[in-house]
Amino acid sequence: MTITDLGLRPYPVGDSSIRRMALEARGLGYDSLVAVGVPPGDYYGVAVREGIIIAGMPAKDAAAKAKRAADGRLVMVRAGDNGFNRAMIGVRGVHLLCGIEYAHRHAFDHVIAKMAADNTVAVDISLAPLILRRGPARQKALDRYRDILMLSRKFSFPLTLSTHADSVLSMRSVREVSGLAATIGFDLDEIEQALAFAGSRHAGSTPVREVP
Amino acid sequence: MTVRPPTLREKRRYVLARVLPGGMTVDPKELYFAVAEAVTSLWGDDLASRVHPAVLAIENGCAFIRCRRGTERELALALSTVTSCAGQKIALRTIATSGTMESLRARLQETARGAPGALPAGTGISVGGKDVEVIFCESQKIDVVEKGFKNAARFFLTTQDLEDK
Repeated sequence: MTITDLGLRPYPVGDSSIRRMALEARGLGYDSLVAVGVPPGDYYGVAVREGIIIAGMPAKDAAAKAKRAADGRLVMVRAGDNGFNRAMIGVRGVHLLCGIEYAHRHAFDHVIAKMAADNTVAVDISLAPLILRRGPARQKALDRYRDILMLSRKFSFPLTLSTHADSVLSMRSVREVSGLAATIGFDLDEIEQALAFAGSRHAGSTPVREVP
Repeated sequence: MTVRPPTLREKRRYVLARVLPGGMTVDPKELYFAVAEAVTSLWGDDLASRVHPAVLAIENGCAFIRCRRGTERELALALSTVTSCAGQKIALRTIATSGTMESLRARLQETARGAPGALPAGTGISVGGKDVEVIFCESQKIDVVEKGFKNAARFFLTTQDLEDK
């Protein structure tokens, strides 16, 4: 099982170089990282894979961008309204729907949940709101995540856990991520699957295929 | 006031947490306020009163934080939500939990920080065409700030980043 942290934004967006983040991630118990805007590679024994976040554009443009994304990159789409999410879940090449905590409550319903399960598109549970926010903002994020978790248990679409860190100070250890996920309601198996999803998708995207 | 016999005293646990970024001076009182706020906001007043956190000391860049026995997990999770102290961005990395501070001090000796870095604090270097000043260097980790700017943000690099630039 490859434990992966997702959505990292190193320098110049953040204040830490990708090497420093990889060095920190190694100490925090991660095997690999998915970072935005950096070339893939291996730093200090931590595999870094390139990710792309598609946000702030109409569904048609977002779908075209997702299809254009090169192989090997993890394509994350920031959730929008219900119609946008429904359109993006069906697009080939989209791996992950992120930023669900910012979307409206009805932006992710049981229909999209079924589509996500059919297309094996994961929904990202970012722990950043739990770490950085306080009061009603954190309560709202917790509420949204519990709703997503309930839908995931019913429709069996994958979930991921991430920190979306832009600094080494925002990164959290696997133990802390597991603990925070447990406060949402994740059980141990769900936590393991969520942390391993990105790694398994990477392994599955290799060009070698079994031909019957 | 008579002192309670040991059997009637409440059982406590001590959590050792590293304060990041390295080399930063943190006031224990300010850190206590940050920890208490984190515990209260995450778990509420009820559980916060049971955790009863207290910052006892900060030694070698690590904080000794006390809680009641049985609430270590809650405290450790709350520590992961501490992001600032007295207006400065920080992070707390839990290293160990123990029943005595002495054993934590022994643990701190075992997990002593890495070898000192090659660049002492105050060294001026150039990174990507910018003049920066090293403010903390340990093993392969280097923290720098841009020269000439008051309250400039800290950048977190490695020795390999400097070799490449």
